[in-house]
Amino acid sequence: MALVLKNTDLKELAQLYDRISMCTQCGNCKYGYEYGSTENFAAMICPQGDKYQFEAYRGSKGKAALAKGLLSGMIQWSEKTTHVIYTCIGCGACVEMCETDIKDYLLRIFEALKGEAWKFNMGIPEGVKKWSSTIGVNKNPYMEKHEDRLNWLPASVRDSLPKKAEYIYFAGCTASYRQKNIALATFKLLQKLKIDFTVTPDEWCCASPLLRTGQYNIAKEFIEHNRELPEKYGASGFITTCAGCYRTLSIDYVKDPPEGYADKFGKMEGVKVIHTIQLVEDMINKGEIEFEGTFNNIVTYHDPCHLGRHAEVYESPRNVLKAIPGLKLVEMYRNRKFSFCCGAGGGVRGGFPDYSVETSMKRVKEAETTGASIITCVCPFCWRNLNDAIDALKSKMQMLDIVEILEPIVKRK
Amino acid sequence: MARGNREVLAKLEQIVGPDYVSNEEAVLLPYSWDLTWADPRLPDYVVMPKTVTEIQRVLRLANHMRIPVIPYVNATNIGGLCVPEEGGIVMDLKRMDKIIKIDPETCYAIIEPGVSHAQLSAALKATNPQWEGYEFSKGFEFGWGVHPASASVLAMAINHGIGHLNGRLGINSQLISSMEVVLPTAEVVKLGSCAFSDSWHSFLPLPRMDGLFLGWMGTTGIVTKLGIWIFPIRPYKDVLTIAAETAYDMTRYMVHWRHYSLCDEVTAVSWWLAQIPIPYPYQEKPKDTPEWFSYTVISGWSEEELEYKRKMWKKVVAEEKARGTKLIDFEYPPEAKRGRTELPSRIIGSTKNYSKSCGGGLAWPGTFAPCKSWPILYEKWKEIYIRHNLSPAVRFTDFQGAHYGMLRLMTPFDKRNPESVKAARDAMVECIRAGIPLGMLPYKPPVEYMNELNAAADAGYVYLMTKIKDMLDPNNIMNPGKLGIR
Repeated sequence: MALVLKNTDLKELAQLYDRISMCTQCGNCKYGYEYGSTENFAAMICPQGDKYQFEAYRGSKGKAALAKGLLSGMIQWSEKTTHVIYTCIGCGACVEMCETDIKDYLLRIFEALKGEAWKFNMGIPEGVKKWSSTIGVNKNPYMEKHEDRLNWLPASVRDSLPKKAEYIYFAGCTASYRQKNIALATFKLLQKLKIDFTVTPDEWCCASPLLRTGQYNIAKEFIEHNRELPEKYGASGFITTCAGCYRTLSIDYVKDPPEGYADKFGKMEGVKVIHTIQLVEDMINKGEIEFEGTFNNIVTYHDPCHLGRHAEVYESPRNVLKAIPGLKLVEMYRNRKFSFCCGAGGGVRGGFPDYSVETSMKRVKEAETTGASIITCVCPFCWRNLNDAIDALKSKMQMLDIVEILEPIVKRK
Repeated sequence: MARGNREVLAKLEQIVGPDYVSNEEAVLLPYSWDLTWADPRLPDYVVMPKTVTEIQRVLRLANHMRIPVIPYVNATNIGGLCVPEEGGIVMDLKRMDKIIKIDPETCYAIIEPGVSHAQLSAALKATNPQWEGYEFSKGFEFGWGVHPASASVLAMAINHGIGHLNGRLGINSQLISSMEVVLPTAEVVKLGSCAFSDSWHSFLPLPRMDGLFLGWMGTTGIVTKLGIWIFPIRPYKDVLTIAAETAYDMTRYMVHWRHYSLCDEVTAVSWWLAQIPIPYPYQEKPKDTPEWFSYTVISGWSEEELEYKRKMWKKVVAEEKARGTKLIDFEYPPEAKRGRTELPSRIIGSTKNYSKSCGGGLAWPGTFAPCKSWPILYEKWKEIYIRHNLSPAVRFTDFQGAHYGMLRLMTPFDKRNPESVKAARDAMVECIRAGIPLGMLPYKPPVEYMNELNAAADAGYVYLMTKIKDMLDPNNIMNPGKLGIR
């Protein structure tokens, strides 16, 4: 029996069937592996597979199988289908292992599957439904009022923000409404580095949570709005401290498929997108930064999936950490492209909070084995989930964004 | 949508816990097929036991209810072995993933079914051969095959899988030293030295009862622990390559070279298999290109030993050229060399070479055949494949001596297209039919190949196979339909 395309009602998915069909079901994606002459890396890197274990949940094999089964009419949509699809964090670990030509399309396929789920409205997690129903009004997934977006800034500063600047600091929803410590530290850092920047009350959610859960129809308005901001503020680009915003602004807004969504929403052109850590690394390399103090701690770095695997920025954070006087960087066994996700992305933190924190607890336990006292990262969403795990475990480790480490001890030369 | 019935589901939940059993189609679907043209068939349940006791309880239930049980770990066998012909319970064993022991003195390991090649190779590389604490060298290895690193070491070994040491040591089922099996009727048995002590080092000199579970494709029991011999990693390695005009020339060279038993592996691939991806549908080979390409891996404990092997290899090549064998010099790319010497390899262990853009289908006539038949069968297979518009992507590999070796034909096809699936299936079955009279035997055979084998088999062979199957599995619950006899 051949897997003939029959169910063309699943439009987003059907468009990708040529690619979906390239999955041979070999299972390479189910386990992290790299060979070497004297040792090799071998570890489970798929958090979903680690938790649920069945083939459907493990690596990209299961999701590609579901897509084939649905498109060929072998199975019908059910609540369990949605569960399999929505417990995928979209971390991209399986993409690193895939060796066939479906590889580059895997994340797009997962998001298309999540998108199709809305048509059936079976089993979509209540937490995801909840924020999705209000994001159009609030412009953020935290169900907070949009007018409170800049409340992380002191009122005096808020009222005197420049109307024109070279860069817009795009804080993102998590730093704006939850991890205000990171937004504030970034603001102070950019000031100390004498960057010409502003912050805007016009910032809306970058649309990452919408794209990652396949809600393309709502995402459109957000992308069209945000990409107009640089022109409005005379800026040449965005600076962001959020890995999720970085991936969305620099890839989804800009690139054609399979990486981005320019095919659906058009292209943002002529706008630089810089992660804070890249800015700092560049300034260190140019000799423009001076350290005024030391940071005498052992630190381990957690690679956010959206910055690491999705955008392939692995070394910039490490180079910055290595440049900090007194800081000793130690690696977890699973790092860089084989990093283990914190468990927050893809709608999982909102949809399956217990599973989400269970995943981040696994990551914190791994961090504890390094001998570090601090976990650092460059993503407020990871920060939040890992910090919840530290609390849940009553771990002695401390969570700090690299920006929080840097801000007190740097100045512009 | 749910399958099966609630009563069985509830009983399975009692045995393994509700998190490790499902009868939902969305969960069952990936267990319904594999890479091959085997028709997808959904199981009714999947269970993931963690212990031998749980396996026993599932089997007792299955016998009582007459439900098929299909052992499963990764389903990368390229033979449809785990596709549930008659529905039933897929028993996914990947939660049983302990490396129970690595004995660096007696040089064996004990593993559970869920242990992957990735996991075992990392553990073996971190263990050093030693005696009374004195370490001789760095790391151990096993026979790493050409498959994803997530594949099960145990499943591959008990189904006569091949590994990178097969030129030196034979196929992986020859490297098994002891085993624990749960019989279809749920009794636990130990075979080999482990039946008498805690040592899992050898089957010999006992009667080889392990043969009741090797190559039976999960139809006679569930192997829950396996003792395997492990081998010190030799620190010096090289890959030597040569091409040939024809399969006859290539076979002549390979037979001559392996006469000296100096290599870990010697393999040759036809031009179509050397392409990435394999051309699909069939494409003609460029006229100025050799038809065959081979590599051989040599290893040693010193550069001098390696150099001696190189010299011997050069001597063989020179002698063959002198007597008219058409051999052509060629160099392997560095990444391909790495893939052959730093194993298990993520590159050759993938499907990218085989199924790049063809609708995800991949299967083979994978066979063991006497070396004399290789070039004859290649010509026959080539004719069959070109007639079906498929590329003759053939591989020869020697297995430890003059006796036999692997002859197989990797075949990508388009699973979306019924005609493509049929053409691949028809071509492969025709190849098997053509090969059996010339001594060729398919390994990990799909049902269609088993039917061909049974049709050609000595009557006594089928009689005994049936009798053994009936004795061990009176209710025919273990992977029914795979042997073509019930």
